[in-house]
Amino acid sequence: LLLKESWEFEKNPMASRGSPLHGPRIRLIEQAQKLFSETKEHNFEARAAEEQAKLLRLQHELEVSTKQAIFMDSSISDTIRTCIVLGNHRAAMKVKTEFKVSEKRWYWLKAFALATVRDWEGLEKF
Amino acid sequence: MAQIPSLDNAPLNLSSLREQSQKELLNILKNIRGKKCLVIDPKLGGTLSLLIPTSLLKENGAELRHLSADPVQTECSKVIYLVFPQLNLMKFITSHIQNDVSKGVQREYFVYFVPRRTVVCEKIFEEEKVHQMLTLGEFPLYVVPLDEDVLSFELDLSLKECLVDGDTSSIWHVANAIHKLEFAFGVIPNVRAKGKASTKVADLLNSLQVEDPVNMGDMAIPEINTLILLDREVDMVTPMCFQLTYEGLLDEILQVNNGSVEVDASIMGGQQDGKKVKVPLNSSDKLYKEIRDLNFEVVVQVLREKATSIQQDYAEVKSTSQSVSELKDFVKKLNSLPEIARHVNLAQHLQSFTCKPSFHGRLDIEQTILELQNYEICFEYIEEMIHKQEPIVNVLRLLVLFSLTNSGLPRKNFDYLRREILHSYGFEHMPSLYNLEKAGLLKKQETKNNWLTITKALQLIVDQTGTSNPNDISYIFSGYAPLSIRLVQHAIRSGWRSIEEIIRLLPGPHLDLKRGVSNANSISETVPGAQSIIDRVADGRRSLVLVVFIGGVTFAEIAALRFLSAQEGIGYDFIVGTTKIVNGNTILDTLISTKN
Repeated sequence: LLLKESWEFEKNPMASRGSPLHGPRIRLIEQAQKLFSETKEHNFEARAAEEQAKLLRLQHELEVSTKQAIFMDSSISDTIRTCIVLGNHRAAMKVKTEFKVSEKRWYWLKAFALATVRDWEGLEKF
Repeated sequence: MAQIPSLDNAPLNLSSLREQSQKELLNILKNIRGKKCLVIDPKLGGTLSLLIPTSLLKENGAELRHLSADPVQTECSKVIYLVFPQLNLMKFITSHIQNDVSKGVQREYFVYFVPRRTVVCEKIFEEEKVHQMLTLGEFPLYVVPLDEDVLSFELDLSLKECLVDGDTSSIWHVANAIHKLEFAFGVIPNVRAKGKASTKVADLLNSLQVEDPVNMGDMAIPEINTLILLDREVDMVTPMCFQLTYEGLLDEILQVNNGSVEVDASIMGGQQDGKKVKVPLNSSDKLYKEIRDLNFEVVVQVLREKATSIQQDYAEVKSTSQSVSELKDFVKKLNSLPEIARHVNLAQHLQSFTCKPSFHGRLDIEQTILELQNYEICFEYIEEMIHKQEPIVNVLRLLVLFSLTNSGLPRKNFDYLRREILHSYGFEHMPSLYNLEKAGLLKKQETKNNWLTITKALQLIVDQTGTSNPNDISYIFSGYAPLSIRLVQHAIRSGWRSIEEIIRLLPGPHLDLKRGVSNANSISETVPGAQSIIDRVADGRRSLVLVVFIGGVTFAEIAALRFLSAQEGIGYDFIVGTTKIVNGNTILDTLISTKN
């Protein structure tokens, strides 16, 4: 039952996708995380939910600071890409360390992102 | 060429089956007098196009509409809904009616369920207080012939329902469909089943026979000799491999739907206006029948030969004076030109995919995964795909294959890759991963890995035998023989007994039944010493084997079965029954949660 409940929560934030009220969504995910962490087998799910809540907060901050509503609901990788494309390398770096993104993935993302904005100099430097 | 396949060459009288369904549908229309509007479940539309030409429906005074949330725009005072018993569709219907009522429009409503009505759906009508305005009925469509030798039960979600949701309604459906076939063609004496759902279907078939027996008196010899039931779950490896037959590639790249593909007109040599054209693909097209099951490499050669031979003939006609009969032959050949042109166009389009290096890279890695050769390389390949954010279906398809042949991934890798996937594709894929895990397609390593034992015992990996002149079904995947078809081979040759040990390694129970022809009610359970060779039909005809895949079958596997029956010394014809034609992508699509 506990499991089922937590999956309900899981699906809920997706149902309310696109709603302007992100506050309750973060709370929902945190609730899901608590439910997950009550059982041993769902360690992985619990951590993932925790990260997602963190990501949503971070994306909210980014949207406020850049005044562009393009971050919400994109994945961690996409967030990093968007940051680099916007030339905001410090923010990208912050996301990277925050979520312990591996060097391998970081290089792919950076290369792709720099290529998208045709920043060949930047690409060569790195 | 018509999209509705001609069934004249079928080993079984399938046209009678189709005619019966046609008649049932037309009767529904005829019983409702005057002009009427037929509102069809969009998912049913494709199925119906294989059954009946739309012109025939229109002749019977029906206006055709697709069912959606928007109210039906029609002048007709009678509205007929033809739907699968799905809850969201019932809501559409009630909202239509309520909309009419609020506008003061008076209409008669009829709802026909395919294949049968369910209590839940009727409850919805009652709750919404519209049930007095409705006339309910059933359109018992259980089987649709897709081609001369393929029957579909048209159950898109059967695999997900069985493996993830625990919904077994498709088992009931399949058993009823087979029982319906038995009414037409006699009780099938030999039944072999492997897998949870399959054995349940076999049991159900027996109880159906007790409840509602097929009268054996008027039938001399049952036309179908053997029924082989296989769960898709038994062999999930094969559908995850990229299909390499012509038809398989068409499905992988362009998606074959209800016996036709939709492509840009420009591909088929038409105008460049971005219009789509529908190309029908079935055995009525003689050239297609010849090449559909060949390895794509060979298809290109065959097409080239055909084209050059016509060119040569043309040169001859021009240069020398010929007799009238020779000219006649030539003209006859020219008649096949549109067919050749059609397939040259399609093949050319496919080639633009198959000559890409990424395509070869993918095939190489599949081969490595199948042979369990180098864990590290495969792992890194998949990791890199995730990092490059390649389409998630492609990633998951390889990952599932990887997990299957390794009987799961070590815990550390399992968690790592799952985390990378969530990071790359977003948190909303959590339920997808959960579904895959529940279906056993993606898991952490717990048990001993049996894949190598299975491949060796069943000779799944065969050294390249040459794709142009194959002598084994492994040509289908250029070196890998589909597990499911190897099982079928053993099942017809000697039953499950000879491979008892191997079959235990695969998921689900198995069952070997012999059903009495003389006394229908005495049914022997799991005969341990089931007879070794299926009795040949006495008058020297080839015996007929119905192979049913619960959870879907790929074109490649159908090709393998056709190849087998064409082999010398095999006295069997195969008919394939399936819940749906699938490929790795369509299977995964049902498991991946979409964004709403």
